[in-house]
Amino acid sequence: MAKFIIRRFVSLIPTMFVIITLSFFLIRIAPGGPFSGEKNMPEQVLANMQKKYHMDEPLMNQYLRYFGDVLKGDFGPSYRYKESTVNELIAGAFPVSIALGSMALALSVIFGISVGIISALRQNRWQDYTAMSVAVIGISVPLFVIGPILQLVFSMKLGWLPIAWGSRRFSEVLWGLLPTVTLSLPFFAYIARLSRASILEVLRADYVRTARAKGLSESVVVAKHVLKGALLPVVSYLGPAFAGIITGSLVVESTFAIPGIGRVFVESALNRDYTLIMAEVIIFSLLLVVMNFLVDIVYGFLDPRIAYK
Amino acid sequence: MANENNRAVNEFNQQVKPVSLWADAWKRLQKNRMALAGLWITVLFAIVGIAAPVLPIADYQKVETDFINLPPSLKPAGEVALSEASLNIDRIQSRIVEGRNDLLPALEQAKASYDKLKSDLSVKSTANNVYIFGTDYLGRDMLSRTIYGGRISMLIGLIGTITAVLIGVIYGAVSGYLGGRIDNLMMRIVDIMYGLPYMLIVIILMAMFMKEGSSSIFILFIAIALVSWLTQARVVRGQIMSLKNSEFVEAARSMGASTARIIFRHLLPNTLGVIIIFATLSIPSFIMNESFLSFLGLGVSAPLASWGSLVKEGADRMESFPWQLLVPATAMTVFLFAMNFLGDGLRDALDPQSKNRA
Repeated sequence: MAKFIIRRFVSLIPTMFVIITLSFFLIRIAPGGPFSGEKNMPEQVLANMQKKYHMDEPLMNQYLRYFGDVLKGDFGPSYRYKESTVNELIAGAFPVSIALGSMALALSVIFGISVGIISALRQNRWQDYTAMSVAVIGISVPLFVIGPILQLVFSMKLGWLPIAWGSRRFSEVLWGLLPTVTLSLPFFAYIARLSRASILEVLRADYVRTARAKGLSESVVVAKHVLKGALLPVVSYLGPAFAGIITGSLVVESTFAIPGIGRVFVESALNRDYTLIMAEVIIFSLLLVVMNFLVDIVYGFLDPRIAYK
Repeated sequence: MANENNRAVNEFNQQVKPVSLWADAWKRLQKNRMALAGLWITVLFAIVGIAAPVLPIADYQKVETDFINLPPSLKPAGEVALSEASLNIDRIQSRIVEGRNDLLPALEQAKASYDKLKSDLSVKSTANNVYIFGTDYLGRDMLSRTIYGGRISMLIGLIGTITAVLIGVIYGAVSGYLGGRIDNLMMRIVDIMYGLPYMLIVIILMAMFMKEGSSSIFILFIAIALVSWLTQARVVRGQIMSLKNSEFVEAARSMGASTARIIFRHLLPNTLGVIIIFATLSIPSFIMNESFLSFLGLGVSAPLASWGSLVKEGADRMESFPWQLLVPATAMTVFLFAMNFLGDGLRDALDPQSKNRA
């Protein structure tokens, strides 16, 4: 097991290397620079600016310098918001996004699995049909349609919930309800379908029949025997779900005007704020890669066959 | 004799008509009502999209300043615009009755613009236009914008899928067939690319090649296609690996068939089912991705429209003019629904063992 963990951990290094290198060169070969948006900048000023940010050096030197800084955890100054460093900008926006993302992930896992269990145990009855219809809606309707429609119904027409961050008409908790529900809906739907299908499969497995034959009650069979086997696909879906929540939060944060890292990302991409874009790509990738790593380890514990492959 | 050739004999020595995989799958698909409905809706959308230039609908770029933000109606636009204008006058009047005397000049203005509109419309032929889905903030027909937006969205879905399938199939097939060290290397590359947050890379690509706030649709195609072949490559590789040691491949090899011939003539036709399932299910996901980018302002830009950019425009004005959000959102959702049901149905039909899998 330890060997498996170490091997998986070592394989993270090339991924992170590729991400840093790719994002650095991708952005540097792009037409237009961070200062090209500013009209009528005198040549001398431009040259000084480039000198200040070491952009007059050969590309390779810039790359090595950047790589070294990143390893030290320093993402440099922001080109656009000149008074603050990238680290400060990200530190300000990060907690909001983490709160939103983890709430959405928790919500989708808890509700997804519960609904999946209920549908599977009531297969082809009204509970199943209702749940699976909701799940298809969750998968088919994009986040950026769900978000505005929920806003339209619950905030504007009914007036039950605050429409966006900052308009705290109710308590502090309520501002997050709509964005969290919006963000979690597609993942909830997918997890519900996934766990329903895998529970249905496990219910027919031999070891479940054995458990029943021993005379165990149905609730014990489900809770002890079915669930553990059925949760494996859900665990392996957590990695992609996490990636989806990261991209989903870009849309949800812009729909609900949440000052999180997703909005900062879109703005920095539009502004060509090189250092900020790279920092965000690296942080998002690191989160994603670490999440995938954790998922693999959990999977290895749940299903030891994987670790010895 | 020729007739007997395509008859087979079953284990009870009865003559049976052999059923091909495709005929069998078609039969199974026909039993699945939702999938069939999905198929017809998809075909309908495709026909409307292709035929859009010859359909009797307004030009999707035509700006009509007289008919801004008209609600959906079956009446001629002239009537709708006038009733909207008189509603506006009533609204101001009732506020004045409530004691808002500062609104008196606004009332005069509203009345003047009502009279102007009336005299304008009496000479204009556009007064007879009918906007059954209303108009947007520039007086453009929502119906035709939604149709043309759908054209772009569906085109992106189609082109993205074709590219992803081509790259993914060739990559996966070569990797799976060659095996060994090359396979290892090729799959490591796929693994590393899987680790990339690919939507972020697409966003960077779109932002990079954006000129003065507008991005080219061509870059969008490339950006989406570049990152989307990975799953297909993995799936095809798995299929090829499980097939490559079967007898028919050995037979082909023993007769001197080249590697390319074995891959393209013997192995790939046997994985066609999986490829089709993947392709059908990836069209909606491409459309979602494109709309996602357009929603963030990084995708299709004006005067072109896609479902994503229409939803974005609608969401910005949904409080006063909800139809501007609901019309494109409904069109897009119905299409995505249909494609998802069709894809699920195709999977059940072509690969019955996978039934009940999520």
